[in-house]
Amino acid sequence: MSQPDLTELRDEFDRWLTSMLPADYYDNYSVYRWDTGLRREYQRASFEAGWIQPTWSREQGGRSLTPAAALEIRLQAALRSAPKLPNIAGPNVAAPAIRSFGTPEQVARLLTPCLDGSEWWALGMSEPEAGSDFAGLRTRAVRTGDVFTVNGHKIWTTQAHESRWAVLYVRTDAEAPKHKGISCLVLDMHAPGVTTEPVRMASVSDETFCEVFLDDVEIPASALLGPENGGWQVAMSALGHERQMIWVMNWVETQRGLEALRSNRKGACDDLHSAVGALLADSEALRANGYRALHNESSGRPSPEGDVLKLFGSLALQRTWETVAAALGPAAVADPDLEFERHDGLAATIYGGTSEIQRNIIGERLLGLPKG
Amino acid sequence: MHTGPNADQLELQAAAREVLRKSCPSTLVRQAYSDPRAWQDLWKTAVQMGWTQLALRGIGPDDLGLTTLDLVLTLEACGGALAPIPLISSIGVAAGAVRTLGPGALDLLTDLADGSVATLAAQPTGQRLPGVPLTLDDAGRVHGSALCVPDAVHADLLVALCSSADRTALAIVPIGDGVLIEPADSADPSRPLAVVTVDARAVESAIVDLEQAIAPGLLALAAELVGTAHGALDMAVEHAKTRRQFDRVIGSYQGVKHALADNYVAVERARALVYGAAALLDEAPAGPRLWDACALAKAAANDAALACTRTAVQVLGALGQTWEHDIHLYLRRAWVSAALFGDSSSLYHAVGRRYMSGGAA
Repeated sequence: MSQPDLTELRDEFDRWLTSMLPADYYDNYSVYRWDTGLRREYQRASFEAGWIQPTWSREQGGRSLTPAAALEIRLQAALRSAPKLPNIAGPNVAAPAIRSFGTPEQVARLLTPCLDGSEWWALGMSEPEAGSDFAGLRTRAVRTGDVFTVNGHKIWTTQAHESRWAVLYVRTDAEAPKHKGISCLVLDMHAPGVTTEPVRMASVSDETFCEVFLDDVEIPASALLGPENGGWQVAMSALGHERQMIWVMNWVETQRGLEALRSNRKGACDDLHSAVGALLADSEALRANGYRALHNESSGRPSPEGDVLKLFGSLALQRTWETVAAALGPAAVADPDLEFERHDGLAATIYGGTSEIQRNIIGERLLGLPKG
Repeated sequence: MHTGPNADQLELQAAAREVLRKSCPSTLVRQAYSDPRAWQDLWKTAVQMGWTQLALRGIGPDDLGLTTLDLVLTLEACGGALAPIPLISSIGVAAGAVRTLGPGALDLLTDLADGSVATLAAQPTGQRLPGVPLTLDDAGRVHGSALCVPDAVHADLLVALCSSADRTALAIVPIGDGVLIEPADSADPSRPLAVVTVDARAVESAIVDLEQAIAPGLLALAAELVGTAHGALDMAVEHAKTRRQFDRVIGSYQGVKHALADNYVAVERARALVYGAAALLDEAPAGPRLWDACALAKAAANDAALACTRTAVQVLGALGQTWEHDIHLYLRRAWVSAALFGDSSSLYHAVGRRYMSGGAA
């Protein structure tokens, strides 16, 4: 897409976004950011306007845009603090998996409600004994004819109590090497034997963890997402999709933090000037590396930057809010919005692959060091 | 939106690396520590390869469509090989300042493109950041001293930042009568430093914007440091893949692996800023944003080169303490190039202060 076309597209998005937001949205952002009603409405409208997955076809909630054009839209949305999707796992993780691996029947039944937000999704990945070591999961699914009987325990399952469905990863072959015995099933959260218990979060949050207990839950074989024992590939593909977006959110957060540093500080901040300069470098490097990764991927070149973005972006985010806190002095701990940002920043080096796992990936895949 | 080098540019960089692999082994770097003529053959190669023509990128009658990104990629390759030639000082730093003079500088830049060597006097006494060390009087004479002038001992021309009434002038002084070059100790003797004392007539001078004149130099040093950082990282990784302790190669231990992964992130952080600033330099007019972008690139490259060399010395254990192992050559280059034209803290501080007071960045 040429530059003028891109500008026109961004303007179109801008006008649309403005028409979606209440007049006092920016004045009362700290209230509106928690307004699930507004966010639900925004998601539905995004789907209808084709902004939710802009690279997909019109009937799948997109506009068949190039990845570069879609990135511009995503950046613009983030820069303008567009309402956050109320259930990120749905459109950004479950939907790509359904679209890539689903049967025509699954796509027909599940994709639209997932994208427009009328049905929420949870990701049934982590277990008490399988966190970073996702492939070590123990939830068992035994197949009898066309039915899987599932027993197990999932945890840290975000928004499971509000979800209609879950992308559930289960062990279907106990004999195979651990990566090769996992299958992905679409779990109906209303099915008998599914019990969901929310976990109280340390911080204010609308992305509440849950425990999900599975007792003799029967799931039809038609609910397999991808091939039987092919769940590892489904998970990697779905998470890869998410990983490409995380840096955009991280970058916008660093920009918001820098803006807050300039406008909200209390008293002299001379001692923080070097830290602020380093943050400006972090923020620009994150954006430039994000673009380089996209450019390399679309030119078919290897994109080592892509593996760096998650680790670097999440650390930059933490540095940003800690510097903002320093600039506020004691007022920092009397500010519930900042308290939320700091908690949220600490989560960023955990979700989507911990920093330790990311360092292993960089060490092993990019530098060629052996596994430990 | 700028997104870094294209396939052709990456190919040219690979070609430069290949030339350096053959003509710039570490034995040449070591030779340059004691032999003041050791750089000359490699310099001829650099001129033949057309690297010095990068002084004329985007201008001149024979413009080959070269950009600052091409220069940056070449300097990165030189940094990786620790090339003991004045390409950074002459084509990156000095020519970068001269280019701000506009079309009048074409003859001078053509001389540099043909292999004459220039260096920029930009370090005043008692200051951490580069600035204006010399003065230009009404009669067109340059006076004063500049510290830590890189490659002055190899140079034919001095490019001097001078105060001229209450403005900044860039003056060109041929090295000869009235220009005293006193070699100073350098932690990296293959990047020689000197105190330059001048009392001589400028053959040319013009008023310049100080930040615009210095920014290309910050970028050139940053590009070199990215190459040096990556070279040191490669050396550490190689060792971590082969050295065994407790029956395992040490690179399988997370204590080593994670330190090297963090180094990799530091290199990519710096590289992104260097490529971005290179694109900005070719956009006119860039204003204070340009200095900020080049300063942040230099600060990030300092960080990367110092972290990568420090980790490499650690990973190499006792070997890293020896004269025989090449890692100290990288360490020395990183120390010197990171110290020239501003340490990270002073650069971050300058950009951060301007941002907090509502300025560029």
